[in-house]
Amino acid sequence: MKSPLNPAIAGVRLSMLAHLYRARLRSHAVQELLAGSGIAVGVALVLGVLVANASLTGSAAELVDQLVGSARLQLAARSQQGFDQQLLSATRALPGVAAAAPVLRENIAVLGPHGRRQSVQLIGVTAAVVRLGGFATRELGLGGFRFTSGLILPASVADAVGTEPGGSVTVHAFGTAHPATVAVVLKSPPFGVLAASPVAVTLLSSAQRLTGLQGRVTQVLVRPRPGADRLVAAELSRLAAGRVSVVAADQELSLLAQAVQPNDESTTLFAAISVMVGFLLALNAMLLTVPERRRFVAELRMQGYDWRQIVVLLSFQATVLGVAASAVGVLLGAELSRAFLHRIPAYLTTAFPIGSQQTLQLGTVALAVGCGVLATMLASLSPALDLRPGRASDAVFRDRSGGGEVLAPGTPTKLAVLCLALLVAITAAVLIAPGLTIVGGMALALAALLVIPSMFARAARVLRWAGERVPSSSLIIVVSELRAVTTRSVALAGIAALAVYGSVAIGGARADLLRGLDTNFTEYLHTAQLWVTTGGNDLTTNAFEAPGAASAVAHAPGVASVRVYQGGFLDVGRRRMWIVARPPGDATPIPASQLLRGNLRQATRLVRGGGWAAISQGFASEHHLAPGSRFTLPTPSGEAPLRVAAITTNLGWSPGAVIISSLDYRRYWQTAQPSALEVNLRPGVSEAAGRRAVVQALGPSAGLGVQTFRERQAQYAADSRQGLYALSEITSLLLIAAALAVASALSAAIWQRRARLASLKIHGYDTGQLWRALLLESTIVLGIGCAVGALAGIYGHALASRWLRLQTGFPAPFELGLGRVLLTLALLAAIALAVIALPGLLAARSPARASLQE
Amino acid sequence: MSTLELRDVVKHYASGIETVKAVDGVSLSIAGGEFVALYGPSGSGKTTLLMLAAALATPDSGTVSFDGRILGELSERDSALYRRRDVGFVFQAFHLMPHTSALDNATIKLTGDGCTLREGRRRALPWLERVGLGARAEHTPEQLSMGERQRIAIARALANEPRLLLADEPTGNLDSKRGHEILVLLRDICHERGIPGLLVTHDLDAAALVDRVHTLRDGHMADGTDPELAATSP
Repeated sequence: MKSPLNPAIAGVRLSMLAHLYRARLRSHAVQELLAGSGIAVGVALVLGVLVANASLTGSAAELVDQLVGSARLQLAARSQQGFDQQLLSATRALPGVAAAAPVLRENIAVLGPHGRRQSVQLIGVTAAVVRLGGFATRELGLGGFRFTSGLILPASVADAVGTEPGGSVTVHAFGTAHPATVAVVLKSPPFGVLAASPVAVTLLSSAQRLTGLQGRVTQVLVRPRPGADRLVAAELSRLAAGRVSVVAADQELSLLAQAVQPNDESTTLFAAISVMVGFLLALNAMLLTVPERRRFVAELRMQGYDWRQIVVLLSFQATVLGVAASAVGVLLGAELSRAFLHRIPAYLTTAFPIGSQQTLQLGTVALAVGCGVLATMLASLSPALDLRPGRASDAVFRDRSGGGEVLAPGTPTKLAVLCLALLVAITAAVLIAPGLTIVGGMALALAALLVIPSMFARAARVLRWAGERVPSSSLIIVVSELRAVTTRSVALAGIAALAVYGSVAIGGARADLLRGLDTNFTEYLHTAQLWVTTGGNDLTTNAFEAPGAASAVAHAPGVASVRVYQGGFLDVGRRRMWIVARPPGDATPIPASQLLRGNLRQATRLVRGGGWAAISQGFASEHHLAPGSRFTLPTPSGEAPLRVAAITTNLGWSPGAVIISSLDYRRYWQTAQPSALEVNLRPGVSEAAGRRAVVQALGPSAGLGVQTFRERQAQYAADSRQGLYALSEITSLLLIAAALAVASALSAAIWQRRARLASLKIHGYDTGQLWRALLLESTIVLGIGCAVGALAGIYGHALASRWLRLQTGFPAPFELGLGRVLLTLALLAAIALAVIALPGLLAARSPARASLQE
Repeated sequence: MSTLELRDVVKHYASGIETVKAVDGVSLSIAGGEFVALYGPSGSGKTTLLMLAAALATPDSGTVSFDGRILGELSERDSALYRRRDVGFVFQAFHLMPHTSALDNATIKLTGDGCTLREGRRRALPWLERVGLGARAEHTPEQLSMGERQRIAIARALANEPRLLLADEPTGNLDSKRGHEILVLLRDICHERGIPGLLVTHDLDAAALVDRVHTLRDGHMADGTDPELAATSP
């Protein structure tokens, strides 16, 4: 049948290819299903990690896009107090401005009728945003929807606080509680990312009333006329007079990208490891079918098929299986990412409007599917090796090696030498340029894979030496299998190695980071016994308007002193810096453990006196600052001249921190509003009693929370761990997936050796002996993989912690954590061995008939 | 001298809804020093008979005994011990461990019986020399010819100095010259050591090299009824 829909490839019609594959599916449905499942799981792992990695900035990008619409420039406030709304009319009057819209954005808390609380960003807008084409027109559809004075809440927020349209909520803003009504709940679809974002939208006037910021805004979004961008930017700068920033409308995205960069880079390393594990998993799954495919190839050759036709046939079957299994993997991976890996770091939502909407990008899907198909194709090449010239057509019928090509004798040594060279190169590169650590981490994973074959050979020698001296029925069997270094056994140990490597390296760096953050925040909070804040804000950056609060607290029974702490975020260049303005009375304004350069005592004295600041290393490096250097900060009163008293870590906030005196803050930010009250108690007064007294003094209408030092420390610790949640989840997932992958592949490999095992039974081996031999062999294969992974992991951990300290400025002191390494090894080995115990026993019980010919 | 004795042995297998009479009332006795061939086409019950002799299966009725021991009455542990210590088995597919030296391959029964590898090698080496592979003891199967591989398998079967030799199509993967050599070797060993040997084959040429030939057809002994066999019998 000649048809354009049925072309012939190397003389084989497409219909024939399909027919042969259908026949294969009918005769080997279970085998094909197993291979497909392995590929799907591999692809799912790859996609899940990649999506979780991309979604953080993806959802924020969508939200910002929905907010700014066609605006290209903005006037942006330098503090929570915003700037005068009068600038809006002045902006509209500027030459070249096509449209301008005012926005007020403030962090608030929404409390539901049952007291459930959710921190959100309040966004106050006017109908002017319609002209910019932002979400007000596209998502809310102003034609059909009329703005009310109530709150528009995304479904995620409404669900979290337990309210619905028409329901009443309480808004805590600037330390005051206000009743509010929920006008609309946005559901997804059609509201997409907006429905999953931690925001609350209302009219500008309502937002100003709720926050007490009448007549003030934090942004004016501007759309210049075509070609007038430069003119408008210059005019806006003139208007801003150095007190308001003139930046791109989507500046927030750049700031967010910088803030999440360390997170992105560390998850990139994990994603790369996951891609390798997923690839090996899919490859192993495909290798299950190799012996049978080789027989199929031999039969076709004997039927007269030439090598080209066989390659076409194998490629067709691999492509169909790879694409179909990868498609299932994509669905699984998306679900995996949604269910387990997608949680927004709480510390970031205080500074950025990050939504929980998952974004699945085409490139990510293509990469995951590509991995699946490539692994399938590569594994399919193995049967094609029987097509080598000079190889007998029916050679496979005499070969009982059981799947996976045997590596050539010299290959393990060559690979080990390559591994060594790679290790030297990684060390040199990372020492010279710490920025190459992530790439080095990936290369280290590759090095771990390269050394496995030679480890097999060494283990075989050791075991054989032991077998010479110790009577054991198992050792010689294990030695034989280890000597036959096949692609499959390397891939098996490789999965274990990569999983352990990833867990040890990233888990170790994570533990270092958490330890560093805990120490940092303990010192940071230790200046007071009680903290009065707006609550729910982990970096103490939300100011509150409470004129009598400090005085009321100071007169509460048991209170010895009250100090006004101030702080907030300040956009400096591409960094959203954390400003920590400590009252002069604080005993330790600069956490001693975080000091990197400078003298602590001198720096503390200088900062207290004003005009000096302790700044983070990243910021200092970017601006070439050292202790004693002069620099300026763009404050609401203009450029504030400061000098560097000391250089610190980033205090746990990746863009960096600036510690100044609250005297400077008042002067340059022109506000006395505290963002916390630091309370110390008289001797003998318990924290619990002091806390009760302070709560009573503040009164029931205050939208403020009171926490003891330990409560706040626990909250910081919880937020730090929640912020690193994705890393923990990926580590666990990687370990579980690897354990199951190793177990299933080992089981399959053992199963395919049934005939040889059965022959040992005829030699008088009993089931128990065979089972023990199989378990010993599995333990050693896994052990080699795990040991290689652990060693590489420890090195990777040291590199990662160094990278965190040097490149990101995070506090991450290296500590080996041998217990954690051993626990990881034990966990992986235990899961895998537990899973293979049963198939191993079944294989050991194979009837001896399997080895005989009838 | 040891004797393998089968009396009125019946062994049936369920195959789907049918019952296959693999062995149906077979009696056979092989005395020490005798090398006997069971000839028959595929599916005639040869392998089943071999499994019964190796205590890998028990008869539905009748008895299989070796040296007076009823094999069907052995526990699983004792039947494993019987195969380990009393039986030498040669397969058509060799079943050698890949990438393992010929000498180490030949020790497999000995290490399974509690020997160290060193002791096993000491005991297996003379057998490897006996089959003509003394000089190639450290070669792996991949480095040897098919005939040499089968010789390793024979050395392995004999390393524990068995009192019964069983061979399942040992020449099936060999050319006629190599096959002939292997059969002569097996026969000579049985004669030298005075042990009974049972060869299962569907190769008519093999019949000319053994002491006695029995024909199996559909699970029955059909001795003397096969004109082809009659023509080749010694």
